[in-house]
Amino acid sequence: MSGEGAIIAEELVKVYGGKVRAVEGVSFTVRPGEIFGFLGPNGAGKTTTVTMLAAGLRPTSGQAIVDGVEVSRDPEEVKRRIGVIFQEGTADGDLTGRENLEVAAGCYGMSRSDGKERATELIDKMQLTDAADRYAKTYSGGMRRRLELAVGLIHRPRVLFLDEPTLGLDPQGRAGFWEFILSLRKETGMTVFVTTHYLDEADGMCERIAIIDHGRIAATGSPAELKDKLGGDVVTIRTSGPTPDVTPVLQAIRGVSSITKKDDTYRVKCMQGETFVPLAVEAASKAGVGVTGVSVKRPSLDEVFLEFTGREYRGEEGPTETDKAVMMGHIRQNLRGRR
Amino acid sequence: MLTELVALTRREFLKLARNPQAIFTSLLFPLVYLLLFGNGFNLNPLAELQNPTQAQISAALDFYFRGAPNYYSYFSAGMVGFVVVTSTLFIGANVIFDKLFGIFKRTRGTPAPSAAVFGSRLIAGAAQPIALAFLVLGLALLFAHIPGLNGLHVTQSITPLGAGEVLAAIVLLALMFATLFLTFGILLDVPQTYFAAVNLLNLPVLLTSDALYPWGTMPGWLQTISQYNPISLCVNVLRETFFGSAVYPYPPAIYLGGLLAWAAVLIGIALLLVRRALRPLE
Repeated sequence: MSGEGAIIAEELVKVYGGKVRAVEGVSFTVRPGEIFGFLGPNGAGKTTTVTMLAAGLRPTSGQAIVDGVEVSRDPEEVKRRIGVIFQEGTADGDLTGRENLEVAAGCYGMSRSDGKERATELIDKMQLTDAADRYAKTYSGGMRRRLELAVGLIHRPRVLFLDEPTLGLDPQGRAGFWEFILSLRKETGMTVFVTTHYLDEADGMCERIAIIDHGRIAATGSPAELKDKLGGDVVTIRTSGPTPDVTPVLQAIRGVSSITKKDDTYRVKCMQGETFVPLAVEAASKAGVGVTGVSVKRPSLDEVFLEFTGREYRGEEGPTETDKAVMMGHIRQNLRGRR
Repeated sequence: MLTELVALTRREFLKLARNPQAIFTSLLFPLVYLLLFGNGFNLNPLAELQNPTQAQISAALDFYFRGAPNYYSYFSAGMVGFVVVTSTLFIGANVIFDKLFGIFKRTRGTPAPSAAVFGSRLIAGAAQPIALAFLVLGLALLFAHIPGLNGLHVTQSITPLGAGEVLAAIVLLALMFATLFLTFGILLDVPQTYFAAVNLLNLPVLLTSDALYPWGTMPGWLQTISQYNPISLCVNVLRETFFGSAVYPYPPAIYLGGLLAWAAVLIGIALLLVRRALRPLE
């Protein structure tokens, strides 16, 4: 297979015990340096796929290339080039945070002195300095996750796999975790492959996503592209009166796919809501109609999922609306603080 | 390979050192056996003899205790083999718990060679029974000097070769059983299944050895089986070195050779089995 992808999956298939088809011909390419989300409900095949890419499981057929190395041919080399944060907590509770990191450094063949130095560097970066010499079993969920992230980064991997990294974390913990990932990517240009079933995370943090359902890729693209495939944004325009009807005027604007009018309100489906609004206001004004209110609604990934899989996303698996709001608020606040 | 082995072995010893309950229990087990079982079960075949001659005493001791001066001395050498086997049980259970907690998966996710993953656990898993074996010997020797307690009375002078043979026998037995139980731990995923499998192996091996039974009370068929039992082979090296070789048909080196053959076969089979489970790609 040719291409410049940091991760290339081509027709990956995994059948367990000759019967259970967990992954059925998955193909996608992750570009170097991007944050790529792998989205799907529990049991969709996310973890099986990521385990095959991370050289932990032999595909039944198909091939995977990670950082230029074919996984089936040289799994050890792939393991040297990647970092993996597993879905389940893997920090060794009986060891201190620092010892967890030093043991991990040794597993990657780093000398004792290099391991100690790198451990200290990561402890500082992950803001675990005060807890570094405490047993990991005394850490909070967020601290454990940061420690596990540090363990995955100990050998400076070029590709980082995160399997459901924020599962079980509270909104603050999730926000903190993503801040680390974003700043890390900015600093190192590392490729990040993340599986999640939190739609808001995939929407807000990933440059591109693939939706997997029943072991097959249902759609691939940036969150915006996938939403655009649904027919774009919905713009609601309230005018000063029901007449004159400006439907023909609005219809003439580029990117508009449909308009419905009820009394003085127009519901316009268009490709780019933000660019449509000033054009619509100007066109209505020229037609002698005043605009008294405008709202733009982008379709959510829930709707994208419904469109591509034919069924609703299992809502109970995601965070509540309050959780989402708290998490996004934390991220925005911290990013503002940095600027 | 060496860097990975050192790092993972360090991890095993750190975990061991941070589990005082396990250390306490492992120390308590041989202590209770030595203090209670050894003293409470202290058979004395000489008690039935009326004014025995020295020849009768020697014959009785040779018959029942294979040259040991009393049951306790005979038993404490056997306890070494017993303790080595029983204290290696947990090595595989630790692997299963590490699997359940994801720690084994994380280690397997690194490029650390399978030999380092296996070797580190084997080193740490065998070190504990070896240390306990010498603790048993030390305590048994100490008890011989405490009034009111039975203890181990060594009747032969120990040569450097003899000491080396004792050490080799203990190390071989520990490595053999540690490898077996470690293999069980790697191949199995459920603690209950593991302990069932271990008991299935452990009990017959222990109870067909002459570690605890007085030799003279064992039926002939059991004596025959026990001659080939790896625990008996280890214990024979110890008893022959401590109490003399008059009643033993072979020198300690031959028993050591038998133990080595057992270890080679079992470790070979175990490594074949785990090789598949520890391949880089499952």
